[in-house]
Amino acid sequence: MKKIIYLALTAASTFLLIQSCSKSSDGGSKNTNTGKSFDRKAMLVNMSSNIIIPAFTSYHDATVSLDAAVTTFNTTPTADNLTALQNSFIAAYKQWQSTSMYNFGPALDANLGVNTNTYPANVTQIAANIGSGTYNPLLLTNLAAKGLPALDYLLFGTGADNTAILAQFTTDSKAANRKTYLAALSAELKTNATTVLTAWNGAYKTTFLNATGIDGSSSTSQLVNQLIYDYETIKNYEIGIPAGTQSMGTTFPAKVQAYYSKISLQLTLLHLKAIQNLYTGGSGSGLDDYLASTNAKNSSNIVINDAIQAQFTTTITKLQTLTDPLSANIISNPTAVTACYNELYKLTTMLKTDMTQALGIAISFGDNDGD
Amino acid sequence: MPGSVKLHLQSLVKAPVHIAPLAVLRIAFGSIMLVSTIRFILKGWIYAFYIKPQFHFTFYGFDWVKPSAGAGMYLLFALLVVAAVMVTIGLFYRAAIITFFLCFTYVELLDKTTYLNHYYFISVMAFLMIWVPAHRYFSVDVRLKPKIAVTRIPAWAINIFKLQLVLVYFFAGISKLNYDWLIAAMPLKIWLPANSQLPVIGGLLAQTWVAYTFSWFGAIFDLFIGFLLLDSRYRKWAYVLVIIFHLATGLFFKIGMFPYIMIFVTIIFFSEKTHIRIINFLKHFLPKNKQYTSNKDYYLPAFKTQFIYGILALHFIVQFIMPFRFALYQGKLYWTEEGYRFSWRVMLMDKVGAIFFYVKDPETGRRSEIVNSQYLTTFQESQMATQPDMILQFAHFLANQYQKKGFKNPVITADSYVTLNGSGSRLYIDSTVNLAKEQETLLGHKKWILPFNTKSQ
Repeated sequence: MKKIIYLALTAASTFLLIQSCSKSSDGGSKNTNTGKSFDRKAMLVNMSSNIIIPAFTSYHDATVSLDAAVTTFNTTPTADNLTALQNSFIAAYKQWQSTSMYNFGPALDANLGVNTNTYPANVTQIAANIGSGTYNPLLLTNLAAKGLPALDYLLFGTGADNTAILAQFTTDSKAANRKTYLAALSAELKTNATTVLTAWNGAYKTTFLNATGIDGSSSTSQLVNQLIYDYETIKNYEIGIPAGTQSMGTTFPAKVQAYYSKISLQLTLLHLKAIQNLYTGGSGSGLDDYLASTNAKNSSNIVINDAIQAQFTTTITKLQTLTDPLSANIISNPTAVTACYNELYKLTTMLKTDMTQALGIAISFGDNDGD
Repeated sequence: MPGSVKLHLQSLVKAPVHIAPLAVLRIAFGSIMLVSTIRFILKGWIYAFYIKPQFHFTFYGFDWVKPSAGAGMYLLFALLVVAAVMVTIGLFYRAAIITFFLCFTYVELLDKTTYLNHYYFISVMAFLMIWVPAHRYFSVDVRLKPKIAVTRIPAWAINIFKLQLVLVYFFAGISKLNYDWLIAAMPLKIWLPANSQLPVIGGLLAQTWVAYTFSWFGAIFDLFIGFLLLDSRYRKWAYVLVIIFHLATGLFFKIGMFPYIMIFVTIIFFSEKTHIRIINFLKHFLPKNKQYTSNKDYYLPAFKTQFIYGILALHFIVQFIMPFRFALYQGKLYWTEEGYRFSWRVMLMDKVGAIFFYVKDPETGRRSEIVNSQYLTTFQESQMATQPDMILQFAHFLANQYQKKGFKNPVITADSYVTLNGSGSRLYIDSTVNLAKEQETLLGHKKWILPFNTKSQ
């Protein structure tokens, strides 16, 4: 036995020598663990009670108001009621920006994300639905003909001004069909919002609070994954694609979010600030505290939490140099748009690599075993 | 002296030993493979890994391995289930174990995204089991054809599995002898605190000393456990350690079936007496029938024996060399991952990356950023982001896609950031290199991987 152990030790030290030659001493020196364990449960309690459920509640309330405004408008289609409806719509779209990143659990079950905000709206499909007077919400082809983008088009894009838009719902030969369609879309938004809110107010909150681990189905992992995913939609869909980053530089200004109501930039800022708020946990425990508890540093030896916070601020400041309508900015001021895109890109990298690793959820990424 | 060594070796290879350990291994391996395959199917992974992705990361030299279309993959897994059952009960054993080996290895070769050391281990074990008469005792084959039953087999038929297991543990142990693991306690310093929700021990896991204890204990365990299992004096306690160690890792890390596989197959180290007892125990669950007791030795014609010796010698030479091939490359192994796979480097690093690909049309100078999720699943993308050979494969795939769209010589570049064991993310590959022009080679270094430590270069 002794002989075998000596042999093993000799072999091991030989191997160690070989390995040492090709090894740097940098790895791992950055993470100086504070030795305190972070209370993930407290973070989940704060996020669900003070951020997520209030967001779903406000969004639900906004869709209820929107649906009521549609009913009023459809009964009495006046210019005043159109304006009131448009304002209800804008309020709902704004609230959606603080709601989209919780696309897991009940929201995912209801496909809330794609059913609510698939853009650019497919104007041809919308026209076809109105023309035929039929609309099947379950058809995949109708994904871009429903939700907020379709309402954006119907309420702001069907005429040059409100007089012309009103005519589409009053004197136009398809006015009745158009009103029916409008009602179907707002009702669908309301139904979906109600379903998800009911689930969160019911059993799902407990499920969410009890999944305190870090595996793929844990709440922390789902939150972080969805935060990153939703953040990337800002970079790719709200800014990138319209600015031509994925089309050899050919711009597509009409592909911005809320193209017809011309509130794209406002929405993007709200969206980014909502993600920032989720990250910080508002005034309570958030990912920032979680990261701070690891004291992890990035390759420039800056605390990762500080770097991310700073980059949120920089990106928001940069976006504030643009103006609505964003579609016009993309054409008139491409340099500023590209500059924003680059800041968004930097934050993507920080969230996807440094944050994910420091939180310790990297190992559970993807739906597979590790080894 | 050389004479006695030779004698010792001869007894390790040729000495007649009882066949019971082999029969128990067959049952243990077959049944754990059955559970493992069914689990894989129930998790929906056939679809997620082999049907949903439109692009697969094949292994070098195995580009021709493609998933079968339609219901083919489901049929294949059904075949794996049947084969696992047949191996367990020992029915048409040789056909069953060959089928299992071929199907399992085929699935593993489809996409390196899912590469795991323990899948490789299963392929290796199944391969070794092809060459041994594991069905000639306590099997359905023996009931159907009593005359094939044997009681004694040459020792090599059992020792090859012990050797393989010792190699696995030992190489896993020496791969832990490095700065990150021992001195920085990485990646356990990241992974353990992440388990703080566990009752009782949760709070302890955030303590730095716990990460060090686990790192050092893990390294020492891996280095010596194989040898302790070989020695009859320490075997019982070593096996208790095996159970504790693997169950603990199973609790802390998402490593699926691996702990149970190891707990099952290491039973092979026990004496033949123990194995006979296990078989007598298993007999309680079977309908009583007249016991057929043969007293025959396993006979294999000399040329067949020579052939098998040749195969096994080749196998173990490869097993000895593979873990050392990293020495052929320059740069930090964990960073470049050149020569990393197939070396029993288990749970050694935490690596996360983000990668952005660009396609440029050289004629117009205009470029597009690629949305990876258009072509890859989240799992494929996250694996690719930290593995240069996969980055290159995807770049070639993109070049191909854009050629089909009518771009003559699309230039593919990538901005990629990777963080390794808490190092903080840094540029991973040279973002100016046209990856479409770079080629994969068998053992060549990829010059476009940036060094991990830029300052010291």
